[in-house]
Amino acid sequence: MTTYLRASEIIRKPVVTLGGEDVAQVKDILFDASKGRIRGFTLTGRGLLSGPLHRELLWRNVHRLGPDAVMVRTGNALEDDDSTAQSAVEEPGGGNVLGIAMTTRSGTRLGTITDAIIETGATPVVAGYELESPGHGSVLVPVAGPVTVSSERVLVPDETAEHSAGTLESFGTAAEGLRRRLEQDAQEKQED
Amino acid sequence: MDWWIWLVIVVAVLAAAGAALVALQARRRSGGVIAQGRRPRGRRSGS
Repeated sequence: MTTYLRASEIIRKPVVTLGGEDVAQVKDILFDASKGRIRGFTLTGRGLLSGPLHRELLWRNVHRLGPDAVMVRTGNALEDDDSTAQSAVEEPGGGNVLGIAMTTRSGTRLGTITDAIIETGATPVVAGYELESPGHGSVLVPVAGPVTVSSERVLVPDETAEHSAGTLESFGTAAEGLRRRLEQDAQEKQED
Repeated sequence: MDWWIWLVIVVAVLAAAGAALVALQARRRSGGVIAQGRRPRGRRSGS
């Protein structure tokens, strides 16, 4: 069964070893914009006064993403630096997607991204976004097909606007509907 | 000036510094969802 989580539910989760030691706390979620795959996490230290750790946790080193903690085997699972995250921010097409706009390819602004929806599993992916939409409030919008992420906006196919969901429970249906619609459109184009 | 005026000033300065520190710390610890990659393409969802 596919489970969806908001990114905000993962951010600030403690990173805990199988020995029970709290080694860090999740700060940022890093994802590969080309496929939506979660690559890992940047970290902060534990405690109110601690700042960013300048170390990162790659997804391949995560033992389990639990409801209350990100589990790793040992403290050695953390990378010694945060070079992956730093290069991501500096690259064109990289950066934080929270707070930027989502726009369709025909130029309609759907809203401002307030959260990302993560599809959990062996390889978790960013399956959609939560938007603050003018006139509609908070809506969950799936992503499928060609999606472009820049530092200023996420560009999605026009059909995306017709497959939004109001709650996380109905998000799966919306995501499936959009996927089928895009497949159908692609098939019709091939036939033409 | 009366001593209590100095006390009020010191307390106000300390409160402002404390609030600034808390805001700075919250900003340092706040998280995000960071895209990686140049000219990205799409993904298949709901699989």
